[in-house]
Amino acid sequence: MKKLFIAFTSIFIGGCGSFEKIFVEEDLLKRPEAKRCGDCHAEIYKEWKKSRHAKAWVSEKFREESEEYSKVKCLKCHAPLEVLEGKKPVTRDKHREDGVNCSACHYREETNAIHGPLKVWSPPHPSRQDKFFKKSKYCASCHEDTYKEWKMSGSEKSCQSCHMPYIGKRDLIQNFPYHLLHLAKPRHDHSFPSLKAKSEDIEIRIKKEGKRRIIEIENVGVPHNLPTADQGDPKYYIIIEAYYDKGKTRKIRRTLSPEAGNALVYRKPLRISFFESKDPKKIKVTIYRRLSWKKERELIKTYLASM
Amino acid sequence: MKGKVALISILLAGISFSADKLIIKKPPESLSKYYPPKSKKFEFVSNMHKMSLAFYAVNLNINAENWEKAKEWARNLEKTYKETAKMVPEWKKYFKPELAENFRKAVESQNVDEIIKTSKELGRNCQKCHQDNMAIVKIMYRFPSFEKIKIEDPIEFTELETGKYMRKLSNSMKALRIFLLQGDTENARQAGEEFIERARQLKTMCTKCHTEEEKEVIKASMKKSSEALDVIAEAISAENIDKNKIFNSLNTIGMSCSKCHNVHEIPALIQEAFEE
Ligand code: HEC
Ligand code: HEC
Ligand code: HEC
Ligand code: HEC
Ligand code: HEC
Ligand code: HEC
Ligand code: HEC
Ligand code: HEC
Repeated sequence: MKKLFIAFTSIFIGGCGSFEKIFVEEDLLKRPEAKRCGDCHAEIYKEWKKSRHAKAWVSEKFREESEEYSKVKCLKCHAPLEVLEGKKPVTRDKHREDGVNCSACHYREETNAIHGPLKVWSPPHPSRQDKFFKKSKYCASCHEDTYKEWKMSGSEKSCQSCHMPYIGKRDLIQNFPYHLLHLAKPRHDHSFPSLKAKSEDIEIRIKKEGKRRIIEIENVGVPHNLPTADQGDPKYYIIIEAYYDKGKTRKIRRTLSPEAGNALVYRKPLRISFFESKDPKKIKVTIYRRLSWKKERELIKTYLASM
Repeated sequence: MKGKVALISILLAGISFSADKLIIKKPPESLSKYYPPKSKKFEFVSNMHKMSLAFYAVNLNINAENWEKAKEWARNLEKTYKETAKMVPEWKKYFKPELAENFRKAVESQNVDEIIKTSKELGRNCQKCHQDNMAIVKIMYRFPSFEKIKIEDPIEFTELETGKYMRKLSNSMKALRIFLLQGDTENARQAGEEFIERARQLKTMCTKCHTEEEKEVIKASMKKSSEALDVIAEAISAENIDKNKIFNSLNTIGMSCSKCHNVHEIPALIQEAFEE
């Protein structure tokens, strides 16, 4: 720390010419662990640590399903070397337990620099402003299917705008002396929240066609399938309860998943129909979801219609 | 079931065996040390690749008349062969260290006739063990296991092992048939709903082994049965149920079940049989 401080004061005497070289920390361009980036980017590191990207390798379920990491084809997105436009990543050799880490997302071998969305002056490591970081396509190297769904939706909002929401202007670094030298900059949440659909994101309509009862369920709010996944196995559960005279009830359940091919496509209603000899008094629809990596089901919506 | 399992050879179509009955033995316990979950390094297979590489390198260098390199590779082969012999004590009898030695000596003497003779002997020794053990080792250790794969039952909302799930699936398929045959439409509608949901959910297990690149193949393999499920869904919510339509669709689905069983169930059954 002392040495740094001397160097720091000396620039103001000696001018900026030698500054960059004095402060360069070469290991940063050798794809270090995320913790190392956290030496300066402490807040971003804390957020990332909470994200699923940080768990991509150590995830219990991933460990099991990849058969102790022996299914080689499973590893590349869970411990990627570098995120490149339009390409699947290759598997990295070092620090695999770090999962999808800072270096994989930000370091580029081609320029031997750290890329990011901003124009910055960053003495410890060369930085390049790279507009690609703002685009949904950035996420597509791994979230390929979700990206395709998003594209079909015609949405103007990027993945980042929802899953890396803007959290105001803040310091990018919390480390002396840089935090004194740099102004606060626009920051985006690196905990990559999975989010949860709001009740109004899903519309429910109840109809009748002849003797068929039709329940239409439409995703009007989330510009990709509900649920969406490339390799994970998230679910949506729909429970329809119809109440008839004399305490008679009928229960219909549906489990929606990307794999079963019945997820709620944006703006394309799912129709569930069943035969009814009599009209019910009321119909109740309840929707839950379960994320791939969670055990619990979470309530999304309840809807009650009296006939 | 322990020790030996007798299988009719058609079960392993694609592997040629002369007898119409094939006895396969459970691979020795100590081999498991070199495979997941105990090890991720595949040490045993990796030695196999080393030997095979060395074997070919000797051949290549002799043809190029680079004797020094050929000798180096032959020593290399002998060393790996002897090392491998110690890895699985139960298979000691398969290894004949003198064959690797003879081969190395022949290369060192640069006697081509002798090299051909000893290399054939060594090659036959490799083959003997492969014939006896390769297929079962591949099934046990290289074919992914269904044991840990769980499917969530869409009717009861519980996670089930593959075998249990299959039984529920097949029971609701049978129930649909039975109620239709008995003319019990109300129950047929219910059983049909359950069967369709379970059959649709089957696909969620595919990505536990297959990745993105293979998705098209997987989708194609399930396409006909998906369409048949749609037909059944339509038919059971109609006022008058068209039984023949449903039976035809069930046959189409049955074929897709068998297709998947052909590829996946047999290895799963063998793995299970050996896992006490
Ligand atoms: C093309 C990149 C890619 C490949 C290859 C890949 N995954 Fe994933 N995986 C993802 C992404 C992206 C997610 C996040 C959720 C989603 O979209 O499915 C994920 C999520 C998961 C999850 C759920 C999250 C958790 O940790 O519980 C599991 C389990 C999983 N993958 C297992 C596998 C297995 C097993 C394989 C190999 C058969 C595999 N993955 C191959 C990209 C990939
Ligand atoms: C010794 C301190 C230090 C360490 C360690 C460090 N950085 Fe930085 N980083 C900086 C400074 C200083 C800036 C510029 C800050 C500013 O302008 O507010 C910066 C900026 C950035 C930016 C923004 C670049 C842009 O163009 O948008 C990214 C991305 C970044 N760092 C990634 C990383 C990664 C990844 C690591 C780990 C491999 C890392 N940093 C390690 C000091 C550090
Ligand atoms: C290098 C591959 C890769 C890239 C690039 C990538 N992700 Fe991921 N992402 C994954 C993997 C793998 C997982 C699953 C981790 C786990 O849970 O095991 C995941 C999980 C997630 C999750 C949590 C999903 C859940 O099931 O809860 C979100 C949200 C997410 N990513 C958003 C993004 C966004 C937004 C981008 C683009 C800015 C992005 N990801 C870029 C690989 C990637
Ligand atoms: C899955 C890829 C991914 C991972 C992992 C990741 N980042 Fe980022 N990072 C991005 C993207 C995309 C942006 C641009 C977000 C935007 O502008 O909408 C970004 C932006 C930044 C910025 C600019 C400030 C901001 O918040 O927008 C910094 C600094 C940064 N990242 C550092 C890090 C560090 C340090 C880590 C590890 C602790 C890390 N990133 C992990 C993708 C990633
Ligand atoms: C308008 C905001 C919005 C945009 C844009 C968006 N998402 Fe989402 N995303 C959501 C919401 C809300 C959820 C939670 C859905 C739920 O209830 O499970 C979600 C869930 C997810 C999940 C977790 C799996 C799941 O089904 O819950 C992943 C992975 C994901 N999004 C990836 C992406 C990617 C990749 C993009 C860009 C191609 C993207 N999202 C664009 C709002 C958005
Ligand atoms: C004691 C039994 C045994 C002997 C002796 C033996 N092997 Fe093998 N070999 C195996 C088994 C078992 C496998 C299958 C391993 C697997 O796929 O995991 C195998 C696989 C191989 C493979 C294919 C590897 C793959 O990935 O498919 C090669 C090549 C090979 N052996 C070469 C040789 C050579 C060359 C020799 C003689 C110098 C030899 N083996 C001697 C048991 C033996
Ligand atoms: C426990 C792991 C596992 C699961 C789960 C699994 N498979 Fe496979 N499957 C394999 C293996 C191993 C092969 C052999 C060839 C290979 O590696 O692709 C294979 C091969 C196939 C093939 C032949 C591939 C070809 O290229 O001709 C098809 C079709 C197939 N699987 C369909 C499915 C479908 C459909 C599902 C889901 C209902 C499924 N599989 C689930 C492991 C699995
Ligand atoms: C992944 C491809 C796959 C598909 C598709 C599939 N099965 Fe299976 N099935 C398996 C495997 C693997 C086993 C062995 C599971 C075990 O015993 O662990 C099995 C076992 C069974 C069993 C024996 C269960 C027991 O242990 O008693 C029945 C019955 C069965 N399946 C019925 C069906 C029916 C009916 C269908 C079609 C509607 C079907 N399966 C579709 C893979 C598949």
